[in-house]
Formats: sequence, C-alpha cells, structure tokens
Amino acid sequence: MPTLRVALAGNPNVGKSTLFNALTGARQHVGNWPGKTVMQASGTFQVDGLTVEVIDLPGAYSLSSFSPEEAVARDYIVCEQPDLVVDVVDAANLERNLYLTTQIRETGAPLLLALTMTDLATQRGLCVDCHALSDALGGVPVVPATAQQNGGLAALRTAFQRWATGETRAEAPPPFDPPIEDAITTLAAAIATQPDLARRYPPRWLAIQLLEGDEELLGLLAAADHAPIAAALAASRDRLRQTYGDDIDLAIAEARYRQARAAVARAVRQPATPVVTFSERVDRVVTHRILGIPIFLALMYLVFNLVQNVSAPYLDWIDGLFSGPLTRRAVALLALLHAPAWITALTVDGVIAGVGSVLVFVPGLLVLYLALALLEDSGYLARAAFVMDRALGALGLHGKSFIPLILGFGCNVPAVYATRTIENRSARVLTGMLIPFMSCSARLPVYVVFGMALFPQNADLVIWAMYLVGIVVAAAAGLVLSRTVFAGAGRGAFVLELPPYRLPSLPTVWRQAWQHTAGFIRKAGTVILAVSVALWLLLNLPWGVSDPRDSAFGRVSSTLAPLFAPAGFGTWQAAGALVTGVMAKEVVVSTLAQIYAGQADEAESADTTTVGDDLAGVAGGFGLATVEAGKRLLDTLTPGVTLFPEEGEPEETVLSQALRMAFTPLAGIAFLLFVLLYVPCVATIGAQAQEFGWRWASLSLVMTLVLPWTVATLVYQAGRLLGAG
Amino acid sequence: MRCTQVPLSDIAVGQSAVIVTLGITGPLRRRLFALGMLTGETITVRRVAPLGDPLELEVKGYRLSLRKAEAGRILVAPRA
Repeated sequence: MPTLRVALAGNPNVGKSTLFNALTGARQHVGNWPGKTVMQASGTFQVDGLTVEVIDLPGAYSLSSFSPEEAVARDYIVCEQPDLVVDVVDAANLERNLYLTTQIRETGAPLLLALTMTDLATQRGLCVDCHALSDALGGVPVVPATAQQNGGLAALRTAFQRWATGETRAEAPPPFDPPIEDAITTLAAAIATQPDLARRYPPRWLAIQLLEGDEELLGLLAAADHAPIAAALAASRDRLRQTYGDDIDLAIAEARYRQARAAVARAVRQPATPVVTFSERVDRVVTHRILGIPIFLALMYLVFNLVQNVSAPYLDWIDGLFSGPLTRRAVALLALLHAPAWITALTVDGVIAGVGSVLVFVPGLLVLYLALALLEDSGYLARAAFVMDRALGALGLHGKSFIPLILGFGCNVPAVYATRTIENRSARVLTGMLIPFMSCSARLPVYVVFGMALFPQNADLVIWAMYLVGIVVAAAAGLVLSRTVFAGAGRGAFVLELPPYRLPSLPTVWRQAWQHTAGFIRKAGTVILAVSVALWLLLNLPWGVSDPRDSAFGRVSSTLAPLFAPAGFGTWQAAGALVTGVMAKEVVVSTLAQIYAGQADEAESADTTTVGDDLAGVAGGFGLATVEAGKRLLDTLTPGVTLFPEEGEPEETVLSQALRMAFTPLAGIAFLLFVLLYVPCVATIGAQAQEFGWRWASLSLVMTLVLPWTVATLVYQAGRLLGAG
Repeated sequence: MRCTQVPLSDIAVGQSAVIVTLGITGPLRRRLFALGMLTGETITVRRVAPLGDPLELEVKGYRLSLRKAEAGRILVAPRA
C-alpha cells in the first residue's frame, strides 16, 4: 500500500494542532525530536487505500533559526524531503501567514495550502477566494480546512489522494530583484560544487539564507573546503551593498511580502469598515490598566485551587490502591511463587511504594495541565505574559517565566519542563533555578503536621508564611543571580503575538495535557523507582537489621546529624527524614512517622479480602473520588460559598506528641524553613539536568543545600538570642 | 514630504506611524521581518501593559507585543 509522508507546517496559533488531531484521531505517536527538547507528534490515517503519515511540525513564523522550534521545522522541510508539505494558513491573518508560504516555496518542497479559521475570517467580514489565491501563488493548491467543520477536512483528504496519484506541481516562485537574483545564482553554483552541502540543502535555497545572514547556516562555511563559497558570498554582498546598503536582508524580506500582499489583494475581499472584534472587547478588560493584574492573579488562584481540590480525592484513591489491594495481591502472588522474604520486601516497600509515590502526583498534574492548556488554547496565556513581563523584568525574568513559576506550586518537575516556552536561554535557565523555591504540594503535608503539633493555634499562619517565604527567597535569589551569574546575559527580547481569543478545542486541550502528564510519568517514574529501591536497600543493610538506627541509612543519618545542630535539629531522626525527603518531600513525614511511631501504621489487618472484594473496592473508590472531585469543583468555582463543608477535625496522633518532645517551636520553624528551601526532589534535579545540563543542575543543588542551611541556622540562632525556643 | 522621525516607543496609544528604519540586528531583525515589521509598514500602538511595558501593536491586521526597549530602536514617522 502506498504511503504519503506529509509534514504539517504553519505559524503558531493557526489551529495546526486541531487540524492534526482531526486528521489522525487517536493514531498518534508523540515524542521528542532527536536531540531536541521540542515535541514531535506524528500520526497516520487512510484515504481509499492510501496511507497518509502526518508529521506535525512545530509552529514557525519563518524558516530561520530564531528558536529551536523554527530550526526543527526548517530542517525537516529542507533535509528530510517529505512527499508533501501542508502549510496551514490562517484565513483571518493571511498576509503574515503567507510569508512562511513564500519561504517554503523557495525550498522547492511540494506544497499545499490548508486554509483554517475561515469562520473567524467571515466574522471579520473577510472573504477568501481559494482559486484566486492558488493562481496568485503559481498554482499551489489551496484547500479550505477549518477542522471544526467536517466538510473542510473531506476536501483536504481528497486533495491528498489527488496528490498521490500525480497532481501537477506548482510553478517555481517568482524571482527576486535582478541584482539579488544574480547573486543567488552565482552563490548557488558555488554551493552546487560542494557535494556535502548540495546533498543536504537545495543550493538556491541555501544561497538565499546565506545572503540573508542566517547565523546557523553561515557557521557551515567555517569548514576549510568551503572557503570558495565564503569568498563568493563576501563578493556578492559587496556588490549588493552598492544597491541596498546594509539592507540586503530587508530587500529579500520585502520581496516575499510583495508576493504575499499581491496574493491577498487578488484573493481577499476586505470589509468596508473594520469590525471591532470580540477579542478587542475582551482585551479591554483582561489587559486593563488597573484590572489586568488582579484578573491575572485571580485566575492563577483559581487554577491553583482547582489543582488542590479536584485532584485530592483521586490522590487518596491512588494512594489507597497502592498501599491496599495492589500490595496485598503482590504479596499473595509472591507467596504463591515461594519468593524469598527479601524479594517480597523489595517489591512491596521498594518498588510498589516507590512507584505509588510518583503516581499520586498524576491527578494533580493532569488537572494542572488541563487548566493551563485551556488558558493557552483560549489565547489567555499570551496576555498573562504581556501583563506580567515588566514585574518579572526586575528579577531578570521574562513575561513567560510566570507560568513555570506558578506551576512550581503544584509540582516542580513539570514546572522545569514548562520553561521550554521561554526562547531566551538565560531567562529560561534562571527561571529553572528559581522553581525549587516555589513550595510544591509535596511540602504541604510537612507544614501541616508540624503546624498542628507545634502551633495548634496558628497552624494556618505558619503554612501561609512558608509559601510567602518561598516567594521572597525566589525573588531575592532572582535579584542576586540576575546580577551575578547571569549578569549581562539579558533576558531576551519580548516578541509575542497576541492571538485572537477563541473557544478552546477540547481534543487538543486533552491531548496536550495528557502528553505532558505521560512525559512526567515516564521520566520521573524511572528516577524515583531507582532511588526508592536504593533507599530500601540502605534501610535494610546490613541484612536483617532490626532497628533503623543501625542500618546503613541510620548510620549515614547519624553522621550527618551534627551538621544540623546549629539550626536546632541535630538529631539523627531529623537528619534521616531530610535525607529521605530528597526523594520526595512528603516522605519527610512518613519517615518521621516510621521512626517515632515505631511503625505503628504497618499493623495491617490479616489478609482475608478476595480479589473480587478488592476490585469492587477499587472501582467503588474511584466512583466516590469522582463524586468528591465534582463537589470540590463546584466549591472552587463558587468562591466564598462553601457548598460541601469538610467533615471532622484531624485527630491528635502519636507523631504530633513525639514531635512536641523532639522539637522546640523555634527548632520546628527552622526545620520547616529547611524543608521549604532544600533540594525539592531527585526528579526535579533530573529534570533540570535534562533541560539545562548538569552544570546548572549542580548549581541548583548547591544553592538548595547552602541556602536552607544558612536561613534555618540564622533564624534559629537569632531566635535563641531573642530568648525564644 | 519629509516627516520627523521618532522612536516607536514615543507613539501614543491609538496613534499610527510608518516604519522608517529598524535599528535592530541579528536573528531578532529577521524575526521582526517575518512578523511584518518592514520599512514602510504602518503600525498602530493599541495598548500599553498595566505596568507601563510592553506595548501592544497592530501590524498587518494582527496584534504583536514588543517591549519599549526594542520599540525604542525602531524609528517611525507619525501619521496625522
């Protein structure tokens, strides 16, 4: 069966992902581009015996190397030579979209235009004539393809089929001005004599890029045997300078826009009077001089609350699933296989507990990503960056830094990955360095337990103070780092399209949210699994050890304990809890519980449940969690009104009594500050290493060890001097 | 007619101006070209962000945001 390999190209915000989803449905494969942190999605579909493989290229305004996304799109079109490039073009914003079209035509790639947003264009009183547009572009086929309207996709599918059975190709693009065209011809001839270049790049296309001054491609000429091309380029530039001065690149860009303007003039009927768009009316409120920032903060608060409230019931359900039925079944199965005790212990306490500790984050992350994908797809995220850029500039950050930082309150790991949207590298890395100080949801249980035990009257205040201290420390660190490590680096230009608001497409939102969540499960899962197995080994070596204090882990903790004495918590228990907390912060609580409460919570009742009971329990639990999440969703969306009040008060536990014995209130505060500021977890460090390299991950590690120790010690010693504790 | 040239950052909200020179080099220059910021193009300043920066511009019928720092390097001729 013949296969047609199709690349989807287009500007950002033109509905390319929606079109890709509508074409390929569920038959998609998602991963990263080789060696790049840019997401690659591909999928297939059938049309009458023809298999069409679609590759969704990253959104690009041009085929230059301004951002990693554009470089990926360019390299694919130019070097991988797909059978067909489908340029997705926004009918409501045609002229600017056609700039990329003219550049794709220059590569000589077989091209088809898919016209989206025709509904939006109609609303604005624009009318696009596909035949006239095709004529104006030298016969490039133009097909209407607004994904929400299924008729449009049928036309696109038919167009693929016609193409595969030998569609006539479009004409070559019109020539540039004669002096430029001469220079291109000379340069292309020189390039054609170099087989290594000519094999990878169409010579004429490469000649244009070199004349434009594309830094990345100019780097190719550094090789010694390309000296003749470098010489020819220098000569051409000298000649062209007589006509164009320093604006050779401008002349080339103008020639492209002339084509685009001519095509629009022929194919688009403009409205007599411009319409005040819906977007404009929304923006008058959302980016209002006074209301803009409060609206932004309120939206972020809403997202944050949604994540906390809606995901909590599912979190409990997953936790119960892993510690209950799954553990019971694994134990039963291993007993059946006569597995030795250590294998059972490793499986239950190491693997299942470790994997469970990762998966409990999944509901929260999914909700968070869904909320953000909704905001992004609707067009609001661009406004958020617009509103916040100035405030973040003081800290050396970029408007787009705000989203990763907010995400950090949920979980630091996806927050680190979310820095990808920031084009400027130093702003991106700096944002990634500050994320660990955002108090993630895993730290909350520690605050709650200590707050309840040591400050029963003011627990809420202690918890809020922790969040606030995290923000203040992040701001201070930003101020210092942007003036030292990142001094002179600049935060990059702020060049951002503010796309029209639109109703988000739910399949696109879901796909995006799920892709991010699945990525987290894969990446963090492997790291945490490895660490939890290692930690289990340390806790159980030398083999047969009964008191955790005598284990390898206990000895390491005892050795470390004196380090924490100046901060007021120099006990091996506290040190041990902090060491395990590196795996995930909420482990601090469970470790302390195990040590102080003498593993009281492990007295699981005798196993009399059947597989059937368990399955029923799991399914019922999921149902209950969904009902609870629904209630909480309603509560969150109706602020100020508590529709479903919480039941019961947290009871006094063995742990809180033990904590009151072991920690003075002052030492407790110092300990909480340490927990807030120290290494978030191995998964975050892993994510930082993956995104920014080990050098930066190491800097972050050092920072999140030195800073918390200093702050905790200062607070403890100052408190002592003032007579507290 | 010769017009006075001013930086784009000096144009008031609601005012339109024609780009005279784009005093920006490197990849950002080509990015701005791709976005339609060419000599001779008419742009309208639509809005200023709540904290006074960046700007929201209308160019070729769509909305683009630029900081005053970059806008200050773009020389324009105000239109009446």
